[in-house]
Amino acid sequence: MPIQDADEREAQAPATSTSFQLRGKLFTAVTLLPEGGVPDAAFYAALDEQLQKTPQFFNNAPVILDLQSAPALARTEDLRRVVDLLRERKLSAFGVQNARPAQLAAAQEAGLISVTTGNDTPLRVPRSEKKGAAKPPPPKPGKIITTPVRSGQTIIADQGDLVVLAPVSSGAELVAAGNIHVYGRLRGRAMAGAYGDTRARIFCGKLEAELLAVAGLYRTSDSLEDALLGQGVQAFLDGNKLCVEALG
Amino acid sequence: MTSQLKKEDSVGKVIVITSGKGGVGKTTSSAAIGAGLAKRGLKTVVIDFDVGLRNLDMIMGCERRVVYDFINVIQGEAKLKQALIRDKRVDTLYVLPTSQTRDKDALTQEGVEAVLNELREEFDYIICDSPAGIERGAQLAMYFADEAVVVTNPEVSSVRDSDRVLGLLNSKTKRAAEEGAEPIKAQVLLTRYDKARIEKGEMMTVEDVLEILAVPLLGIVPESPAVLKASNVGVPVVLDEPSAASQAYEDAVSRLIGEVVEMRVDGERKPGLLRRLFGRSA
Ligand SMILES: Nc1ncnc2c1ncn2[C@@H]1O[C@H](COP(=O)(O)OP(=O)(O)O)[C@@H](O)[C@H]1O
Ligand SMILES: [Mg+2]
Repeated sequence: MPIQDADEREAQAPATSTSFQLRGKLFTAVTLLPEGGVPDAAFYAALDEQLQKTPQFFNNAPVILDLQSAPALARTEDLRRVVDLLRERKLSAFGVQNARPAQLAAAQEAGLISVTTGNDTPLRVPRSEKKGAAKPPPPKPGKIITTPVRSGQTIIADQGDLVVLAPVSSGAELVAAGNIHVYGRLRGRAMAGAYGDTRARIFCGKLEAELLAVAGLYRTSDSLEDALLGQGVQAFLDGNKLCVEALG
Repeated sequence: MTSQLKKEDSVGKVIVITSGKGGVGKTTSSAAIGAGLAKRGLKTVVIDFDVGLRNLDMIMGCERRVVYDFINVIQGEAKLKQALIRDKRVDTLYVLPTSQTRDKDALTQEGVEAVLNELREEFDYIICDSPAGIERGAQLAMYFADEAVVVTNPEVSSVRDSDRVLGLLNSKTKRAAEEGAEPIKAQVLLTRYDKARIEKGEMMTVEDVLEILAVPLLGIVPESPAVLKASNVGVPVVLDEPSAASQAYEDAVSRLIGEVVEMRVDGERKPGLLRRLFGRSA
């Protein structure tokens, strides 16, 4: 059975103790980049508009506040207020990134943790420490899916590429450590380079995707050029920009 | 248990009628397909999995004959044969009603399995009328199925839910869990098909629906006042006077048992449509 459920996101080997288990868990978070100081009404209005356009995508999404462009957002009560107003919108802010030291202290005070993610510090797959290994490592296996990926399903290729030879429905999700290839129609979401590989790419025969992401940088369908819809495209990172181009 | 002999020697087939979305025509279709199979001499039982709502016995016109129900049987309070109601019009047709007072937690996987296994010995076809949603009740209704009829209206939200249900059929059922088992055979039954609204662009075309769902088409049932009329008097639409809807259900039943019948849209045969549509599905 090639179709897997979201449960598979949990790491395979739990660390067991007598009273509880620890499991590594992988999930996608949305990064929110306020600019300037304390977010104002215009910020929330723009956010609400975005939420309305793609409600599915943001529903109960975990959120990281990227404070890089908001140096003045540095007081605990302001951060608390942001968290509350996001929660009212069913967004759960749990962490900050790119915080200056004073901001970090205020954020921690407000119950937010410090997160370093994908683009900034790509996670490296740990290499085997064994010395003198003569042969190069075998190519990573990846995953090939031949049946339709339905709304509500998540397919994860922990290693290597994910190849889908069938349609991917709206509301379905593809996640791969490496590249993603979709030969059917891509209507759902595709996230390549999910562990931070910035060289990963997404290829699809017919673009109708709700979301494309490479190493955590994403674009939703409303930010894709209309001319690309229904086309064969590839998506890749050029520095800090996610480019989507027609194929051939 | 019951007097009528089943036609085939092999164990009966369990077919779930499901959709995700409510109000699309699952119960109407369960009654019509069940009655259609029974009319062909196949011993058929229709089970109501929609615990707490109890629509099936009303649509099948036996609500005043319910003594024991599916839940009583699962809880060991009654024998299966005490709960089965035999139809007064077609003697190969039976209904296993559900309870209006219990809640859906009264259904257990082991209980459902035991009842279905017993029914498989006695019946050719076991039709499971699923509740709406994708939660426990709907998952129990589909868990032991051999085939699925995914009831879909030609509109975006219904198609999306059907797609979701097709995913569950492929992942959360016994056949999905068992190594080497054949996957559930799923087909889509397009109901409440309204040609005028499709032509106006208010509803999706058959092609659009099948392009998304990528499973074979079992039939196209038009929106028809005959359906409401039949259900108001407690008659499965195929046992009432002939109508475009009853013809569509009869055709669907023929396809369900493996006959090849040209697709009919609004009472008119559409030669080639079936081939075209089947051609594009996996
Ligand atoms: N083909 C049809 N034409 C007109 N009305 C229909 C048709 N199919 C179903 N209905 C009506 O739609 C409503 C919901 O049908 P029902 O079978 O109870 O759906 P479900 O079991 O999926 O909730 C009922 O009032 C029924 O009479
Ligand atoms: Mg119903």
